[in-house]
Amino acid sequence: MTAVSIRNVSKVFNQGKPNQVEALRDVSLEVKRGEFVSLIGPSGCGKSTLLRLIANLLEASSGDVVVNDKSAAQARLDQDYGMAFQQAGLFEWRTVQKNIELPLELKGWDKPDRAARAKEMLQLVQLPEFADHYPWQLSGGMQQRIAIARALAAHPPLLLMDEPFGALDEMTREYMQGELLRICAATGSTVVFVTHSIPEAVYLSNRVVVMSPRPGRITKTVDVSLGADRNEDTRNRTTFFEAITAVREGLRGMHAAHVGLGNDDR
Amino acid sequence: MNRARSFFARALPAAVFGVLFLGFWEWAVRFFALKPYFLTAPSAIWQQFTGNFSLVRDAATVSGANALVGLVAGTVLGIAMSFVLSRFGFLNQLITPLAVALNAVPIFVLVAVLNNMYSITSEIPRRIMVALVVYFIVLVNVARGLTQVSQTHVELMRSYAASDVAILRKVRIPNALPFLFVSLKIAAPAAVITAFVSEYFGGSQNGLGSRISSNIANSKNAAAWAYVLAACLLGLLFYIFSVVLESLNRKGEAR
Amino acid sequence: MTALVVRAARRTTMFVAALALVVVVWESYRAVGPQDGGTIAGVRILPRTSEYAMPHVWDMFSRFGRPEVRGSDRTVFESVLAGAWYSFRLSAAGFVLGGVVGVGLAVLMARFKTVQRGVLPYLVVSQTVPLIALAPLVVSWGGKLEVGPFVWPRWLSASVLGAFLAFFPIAVGTLRGLAAASGSSVELMQSYAASWTKTLFKLRFPTAVPYMVPAFRLGASASVIGVVVAEISTGLKGGIGRLIIEYAREATGDPAKVYTAIFGAAALGLTMAGVVVAVDVFVMRNRPKESIS
Repeated sequence: MTAVSIRNVSKVFNQGKPNQVEALRDVSLEVKRGEFVSLIGPSGCGKSTLLRLIANLLEASSGDVVVNDKSAAQARLDQDYGMAFQQAGLFEWRTVQKNIELPLELKGWDKPDRAARAKEMLQLVQLPEFADHYPWQLSGGMQQRIAIARALAAHPPLLLMDEPFGALDEMTREYMQGELLRICAATGSTVVFVTHSIPEAVYLSNRVVVMSPRPGRITKTVDVSLGADRNEDTRNRTTFFEAITAVREGLRGMHAAHVGLGNDDR
Repeated sequence: MNRARSFFARALPAAVFGVLFLGFWEWAVRFFALKPYFLTAPSAIWQQFTGNFSLVRDAATVSGANALVGLVAGTVLGIAMSFVLSRFGFLNQLITPLAVALNAVPIFVLVAVLNNMYSITSEIPRRIMVALVVYFIVLVNVARGLTQVSQTHVELMRSYAASDVAILRKVRIPNALPFLFVSLKIAAPAAVITAFVSEYFGGSQNGLGSRISSNIANSKNAAAWAYVLAACLLGLLFYIFSVVLESLNRKGEAR
Repeated sequence: MTALVVRAARRTTMFVAALALVVVVWESYRAVGPQDGGTIAGVRILPRTSEYAMPHVWDMFSRFGRPEVRGSDRTVFESVLAGAWYSFRLSAAGFVLGGVVGVGLAVLMARFKTVQRGVLPYLVVSQTVPLIALAPLVVSWGGKLEVGPFVWPRWLSASVLGAFLAFFPIAVGTLRGLAAASGSSVELMQSYAASWTKTLFKLRFPTAVPYMVPAFRLGASASVIGVVVAEISTGLKGGIGRLIIEYAREATGDPAKVYTAIFGAAALGLTMAGVVVAVDVFVMRNRPKESIS
């Protein structure tokens, strides 16, 4: 079952103007239901653009984006995905619970249903006692957990995440990665995850998609065979380091080609 | 070339709106045969403005002079006092709440008593009033500029064993300059407004404000509008002047 | 909570101390200054210190308790209070009107870029131009303008002028606030397929509140200025402006009286500001304590 199908997608910004940018060229990607896929690459490789194409926040210049067997536009209208950003983006004037209820309000749910679902999500992210707090009273990591709770509030099948842990310190980051895996196992969500961090991509994903810039395209896909049960020990396993090395070589190979070191890796 | 084009593209809606507005105004007066006491047509206003130009100009000079003298005096005193405030932090705590409270109060009513302190033909009460209004605006802003400096800069200077005066010259004053010019952009129009409003309290009747109200009293609305136009132009002039001053200051800075 | 109270108490003591300082300066100058005024470098800049020009501060306060005019049983305090209250109501009406129109225009400008491009430059420029010059014109409509059974009451001119002055800073500030929502928050709302109106009420307005607060404060003081100037330039009866002019005329015989009216005008401004600040504090009660300058 395919959750997301991207076929020969290209995206050009400022077409025809002097500041024209080819953000993506002929990109194809299939994401199976329940899969956790990371997009990794240097700045300008188009990973955030690709994520936004799936989210239908941008339109592709050419090619197809099919989400949940519908067009991306329809999927957005049907609220088939939840999104999380690097800035938790919680509304500072709403309590934590009301923040989680936001997508449900927009969908027209009535009060008791919303409250019940919000409480359920708070349990899931293990922050039930903060329901009536305000976001600025919470730490960065806690705010991100609320943002994830919000993204999953309507139980969408797909979760799109744009470097959600980028603003957190290393320890919190590792903790959040574990939390995210636990939550996704509980909900069975498909995840497309954009990141800058190689260990993070490997730890979280079934597959790591390496992208390169100018023009944005997929250069390598690394299958991560760490199994479904991941924990602290996973970070010490040889397979973990092998996958990291594979991803790093994918990134470096493209970098070397750019710098002109003539590494015939590709 | 591109920049010129984009400037015009952005300015076009405003220009179009302005022309449409004036056009509609003119048409409405004619079509509805509006009496002058309600609304005067732009054409009639322009006629009065150009016809009485020397009178209008003289009145504008009187009001403008009051505004200018007050602006300069208030700025100088405000800057001087802000140095005192930055030196004696305690005074800062004393004066700032007062300044904030005065912001809410229509202090121009003090002209009523200022008029009693001077002779009836003197322009001094108006100038003092303008100076007072400008003084508080400049004081609050420049004091903030002198005191709210980057902690890092001050620590750096102290590591060089710099004296307080040196810190003042090299860190505080450059930091305060943008604050000064921002405050002038507020103070310049405020000076003009205060200069007019002061004229409503009696005393010499040579300025724009008194001309406007006396013309209304005599039902000469078109003439009154002409003086209003002059008042707007005067205000605009003062504002442009303050913007020019600010840009001269910015010349040295990286854009 | 106590920290807030301590800070407020400190500020009030400082404020009272500042006032005390002003009184000291006043009385000192009065004691040493020249009776008929004086000159500095040829400019006749020193004010007179006679009883008529500069009454004692305690005379100003005691004047409140005595009758307004000889033989009347209305004290100055009652008159000034009535005048200030009248002007307050006019200012409040003007403020509300200016607020409604200002916010409405801001929403319109946020929605339609062309409206913004066409109108915003004028709004910005209008803050530098003395619109107050229109005061006598607006007031002159009073009693002469008739639309069906409705005759334009004179006091409405004062409120309209207040509204006119208040509306500009409110519109500009609200627009700034409406445009201040972060890119990712807007994207979030887009990902929810939310309509522009929903986004306006759930995201843009709440984001705008910290910007609207200082804009409304400016609007409140602008409304007071508009009303007082309208009263003064045309002698509108009942308000504090008219009282100031009247008492100023009687200053030769009764020098302290005009000061009472001035205190009344100050009280008017402070009350108006106080009401707006109280609403501000309430509206921002759950927000983190940072400020937008």
